[in-house]
Amino acid sequence: MLQSRRHVLRNGRRHAASGRPWRGAVGLGIVTAMATALAAGPAGAAEPPAPREAAAAVDAAIDASMEAAGGAPAPACDDAAFLRRAWLDLTGDIPTPEHVIAFALDRSAEKRGAVIRALLDDPHYGLNWARYWRDVILARRIEDRALAVADALEADLSAWLNADEPWDRIAARFITAEGDVREEGATALAFAQDGRTEEFAAETSRIFLGMQLQCAQCHDHPYDSWKRGQFHELAAFFPRVGVRPVQTTTRRSFEVFASDRPLGRRPNNENRPQAEHRMPDLNDPAAPGTTMAPRFFLTGSRLPLGSRDAERRATLADWLTESPWFSRAVVNRLWSELAGEGFYEPVDDLGPERPLQAEEALEILASGFAANGFSLKWLMETICLTTAYQRESRGRRLPDDPAFTANVAQPLRGDQLFNALLSTLDMPEPADNGQPRAARNATNFRRRFGETFFYDPSDPRETVAASIPQALLLMNSPSLQQRISGERPTWLASLLAETDDPEQIIAEIYLRALSRPPRDAELATAVAYLGESPRLAEGAEDLCWALINSAEFRSRR
Amino acid sequence: MSPTLQHRVAVATQGGRVVSRRDFIGNAAAAASLAGSAPWWETLCASADELRTRRKACILLWMQGGPSQFETFSPKPQHPNGGGVKALSTNVPGIEVSANFPRCAEIANRLAIVRSLASKEGNHQRATYLLHHGHLPMASVQHPTLGANAARHLGDASRHLPNYVRIGGPLANAGAGGMLGVQYDPLVLGSARRPPENTRPPVEGERFERRLRLMADLQANAATGDEASAADHPRLVAKAAEMIFSPDMDAFDIGRETEAVREAYGESEFAAGCLMARRLIERGVTFVEVVHRGWDTHLDNFAKSSELAAEVDQPMAQLVVDLEARGLLDSTLVVWMGEFGRTPRINPRGGRDHYPRAFNGVLAGAGIRGGQVVGATDPSGSEVVERPVTVNDLFRSVYHALGVDADHENVSRIGRPIKLVDGGEVVRELFS
Repeated sequence: MLQSRRHVLRNGRRHAASGRPWRGAVGLGIVTAMATALAAGPAGAAEPPAPREAAAAVDAAIDASMEAAGGAPAPACDDAAFLRRAWLDLTGDIPTPEHVIAFALDRSAEKRGAVIRALLDDPHYGLNWARYWRDVILARRIEDRALAVADALEADLSAWLNADEPWDRIAARFITAEGDVREEGATALAFAQDGRTEEFAAETSRIFLGMQLQCAQCHDHPYDSWKRGQFHELAAFFPRVGVRPVQTTTRRSFEVFASDRPLGRRPNNENRPQAEHRMPDLNDPAAPGTTMAPRFFLTGSRLPLGSRDAERRATLADWLTESPWFSRAVVNRLWSELAGEGFYEPVDDLGPERPLQAEEALEILASGFAANGFSLKWLMETICLTTAYQRESRGRRLPDDPAFTANVAQPLRGDQLFNALLSTLDMPEPADNGQPRAARNATNFRRRFGETFFYDPSDPRETVAASIPQALLLMNSPSLQQRISGERPTWLASLLAETDDPEQIIAEIYLRALSRPPRDAELATAVAYLGESPRLAEGAEDLCWALINSAEFRSRR
Repeated sequence: MSPTLQHRVAVATQGGRVVSRRDFIGNAAAAASLAGSAPWWETLCASADELRTRRKACILLWMQGGPSQFETFSPKPQHPNGGGVKALSTNVPGIEVSANFPRCAEIANRLAIVRSLASKEGNHQRATYLLHHGHLPMASVQHPTLGANAARHLGDASRHLPNYVRIGGPLANAGAGGMLGVQYDPLVLGSARRPPENTRPPVEGERFERRLRLMADLQANAATGDEASAADHPRLVAKAAEMIFSPDMDAFDIGRETEAVREAYGESEFAAGCLMARRLIERGVTFVEVVHRGWDTHLDNFAKSSELAAEVDQPMAQLVVDLEARGLLDSTLVVWMGEFGRTPRINPRGGRDHYPRAFNGVLAGAGIRGGQVVGATDPSGSEVVERPVTVNDLFRSVYHALGVDADHENVSRIGRPIKLVDGGEVVRELFS
């Protein structure tokens, strides 16, 4: 893959932060391997489907459901749109002008597939999706101190994703995690919920099964047939987990821990371990409530009261990852991220009684994903190879229009947008300069930017609104403005030193910012503008500013 | 969603069309309880419009860390737990406050002191969340914080300034727009002595306008893949530009006040925040939170509380007096509180630890009857013995003062209706 030196340098630096040693979870490997083997079917069965084969089957299923609904598909997107989309989706960054040009000139029929594979092998693939899951998990934190786990989560998950560690094994890591939250990224799910029994259970189900039973925390579920008892039986896998501070002479942190020692009666759902979970009595909240034995709501499998924590959580991880909903949930979520709309919507509210689109396509992906050992790279590659993924983007469809006739434009996540700015303006990754953690969080540009542009990736994208502080940051931030200058030692100044041909300058700015050449009308507008500007540099600066502040820059089409 | 739509009910519409059937059904279910023959969304919009004409506003003086009730508004000079802090008579016979608050003592006839607040949350994070939202944190629900709900119900979207401002830097667990969306997040200022971030245009006005025009001209031919949403974008940028070039921006500049006015508020950072809060309220901002930190006095409680109070007393009293003088106190609720109180027992390091079982809040303005004390604790200050006030009661009272229906239901992502306040009752004494 063509990589400019500048890009490699910057990316190398950006990635160095996550180059932490990989820690395997001893003991879970065998269970996971068995589950994988089971999912793959009996020995000697047919080879698991290859991405291209599966993609064709998915397209056939989608076309059938689209035709049945009377939909007409949008045409395939052009090369420039595809390249920017695939870069942002897989590595969270935009391609350089060199990439765009090389891709456009490549005559190979297989070039899109080749780019997809190359991007999946780029270390930024893991980092990009680690940041995605970090946002998914931490968006629902019940305490802001949970942000302390963010760096470890990003680093660990990034390594696991780049190694294409099976998703069932990654899920088991989160469900069974223990340890210092600044060192063990997998503690994020528990720590985000302060180790509280009911919340940890609810988030485990929401994220890994796409099912939200917590409505049933207080009453039977209003839309589904889940009963209140079923939620509390799920919670009964987690009562022995807690969170406590750890303090050494040099630093303060927290740890997720479990205890099987008999503990005195504590209030329910605290952040300290208790022997068993109790379902509160709604009519008498002060009463101790009903002791619940662990039971998995999807299969009815149960563990006895008194089971050790290690057994409870490891067993739940096994049962949960064996469920077909485990595959459906992640397939649905990633399809939604890549194609712009899920089979089920929203992505964390699935269930046997929920309506869905193109069910057969979902099942092809879910069974192929399981048969391929829960390989996320297989899943990503398959989705990106579908014609459905590679269609032009349109706005979100109306509720009664057929689904999947086009890809759907989406707002960039904070980290994607920040990367796009670094690439466009040739800015280095902000360094932490060895500052203490608190100061770093307050001053690091990526973090502050991420806060301003944050949205919960589980939210339906049409509900994600842009804010005034976001607009102000892109319009006025001094850190960005100094990189737009045509007079300092910036990329723009170098460009202006090389040429004073307005058309060339405009084309280069478009390629850098939007990964495409300007359209004729845009070129005419920009040429006229540069012509009227008091100085060429000033016009070029203004054009760069206008593109960075445009709707197109902030979205992935 | 375009910024101009921000005070409409969140029906999940975009450019006038319903974009999510599920959301729509969820909202319709939530609204089913509303009576009347008009479509439910019109009913809601109408009542919101009516509220806005009354233009209620709120200033929250937030004491982060949990101020000691003994060294603030519940002195116990007769009891060893009181720690020897003197009580001061106020301008209301029979009401005493701690000697740390001499200026507030002079205006006690405008203040309602609640001495019987009680909760079960003795941890900063959860208690800060609780006293900002009126709810405990839950993974499944992103509650809007008090200021966001106020901005949503009372704010005027046509104004240039944001309707919710937090002065004193980011505050963990204090919340934001939550399920209402980022348009109800507070604009956060690190300090009242500096303008808000990114509000200085990088180029002079005329060139800035040229840039905006260029952006809009190019937009017409851009390749966004979603023309409807893209069409909203220039409006957002225009609104942001309107804000920074608006004459109202000088509300963020306390340097425009006379020396005398600034002196009346005092010299602390908190004083600057209170003064800016008044300037913002004058310009129609709905909710301003001014954060004062350092009240977590596990060590050396007495000296620290007295220092902290010295930074708060004068600006707090002056804010109330100043609002009154400008005719704004009737429509502006001022709330002083922190996340909990502190232990009656003094620890071996001369400090007090967390104590949520009996703590204080102070309210003024917006129909609150001043010159009264609500509730009481026993002589040792350990237990509420009279008129207990729960956090829900307090939040109901705050929403009542602001004219916001505390039973209004926001709808969570998965269609679950969440009332602004669950249970609790308005503390009637506050208003009579």
